[in-house]
Amino acid sequence: MKFERFPWYLLLGLIAGIGLGLLYTWVISPIRYVDTLPNTLRADFKDQYRSAIAAAFMASGDLARAQSRLALLGDPDAVQALSAQAQRMLAAGESVDAVQSLALLAAAIQQQAAAGSTESLPSSVPLLSPTETTSAVAAGPRQTDTPLPAPLETPTPIQTPTPRATRTPTPTLGAPFVVVSQEAVCDPNLPAGLLQVIVKDAANRQVAGAEIVLAWKDGEERFFTGFKPELGNGYADYVMTPEITYTLRLAEGSVSVPDLSAPPCQASTGEQYWGSLRLIFAQP
Amino acid sequence: MPRWIRFLIALAIGAALGLVYGWVIDPLEYVETTPDTLRLDYKADYALMVAEAFQQEGDPNLAARRLAVLGGGPPIDIVAQALEFALRTGYSESDIGLLQNLAAGLQAWSPPPEGGPP
Repeated sequence: MKFERFPWYLLLGLIAGIGLGLLYTWVISPIRYVDTLPNTLRADFKDQYRSAIAAAFMASGDLARAQSRLALLGDPDAVQALSAQAQRMLAAGESVDAVQSLALLAAAIQQQAAAGSTESLPSSVPLLSPTETTSAVAAGPRQTDTPLPAPLETPTPIQTPTPRATRTPTPTLGAPFVVVSQEAVCDPNLPAGLLQVIVKDAANRQVAGAEIVLAWKDGEERFFTGFKPELGNGYADYVMTPEITYTLRLAEGSVSVPDLSAPPCQASTGEQYWGSLRLIFAQP
Repeated sequence: MPRWIRFLIALAIGAALGLVYGWVIDPLEYVETTPDTLRLDYKADYALMVAEAFQQEGDPNLAARRLAVLGGGPPIDIVAQALEFALRTGYSESDIGLLQNLAAGLQAWSPPPEGGPP
């Protein structure tokens, strides 16, 4: 039997070829990130981008433009992303204005979706997938009143001019809010000590972004309406510790509601549990 | 065939395999990038967002902090680039006006001293 010698030089050539390729791509001409898209940004930069979108929305009230810009970030659920970021910023003690603008933008999008209104939204706002390379200019930001420039790269659908959307009701410096309803809720399905707050304006519309100040003997907590838009734009909640007494007010101006605590409830089986409280604020 | 030619062929095949792997099988995904790498039109739109907010807030410090995300250059330069892009690509007059207002606001602005209050 004759054994042929293994052609080691071929294997060596193969490995050297791969090595040369890596040397070229990693050392001689390493990747330089240029002309990237917003959806590729690192998470913390996406947060800053979202904050800028919300700040611009607060200034212009242009919801369609804000939605087009949010679409560039490629979040599967923009409302969820805004709400989650607002919660993170709130926990980090960042400025109330920045948090509120995110909450208001989330609420405005949710409100428009709930209303099923398509008139104020462009029919062709593209939701970019990570691989799309649509020009930012054509993807939305210029759709309101700037003529569309020629796309920089791939052709993009032409969008029709969009009317400016109406703004979400926000807390105003009108008459102070008053408590129109305060009730204990005995529902064993709710978390023990759940404090539910609903804020409405004078037109009986729920108000998103209203800051709620909850104080107790050793501390204070601030939270906002609108973070759970599925329960209403003017809804907010907080889980109270049983047997602690709280005082609640709205930062925008309201009467203080003292002596709030989780009410004792009794189940049909006779078992005792801590119930919930529901407060409704409204402007007269 | 001489052995050195076969070696070169193997070398070329190895390089080709590397390219196929890198470009087809497991292509590079652009993730975790920084805003300074954004394409110019996105940078311009970001500057416009800052300009929109500045129009209402009137706070050049805050605007400069927001613009700093786009890179280490002076904020006024970033706005100037955005303005140049806006003029070249036909932004609306109102948007151009917003960018001009921001540029004017930043021209009169000087960065706060290091370690000082924001």
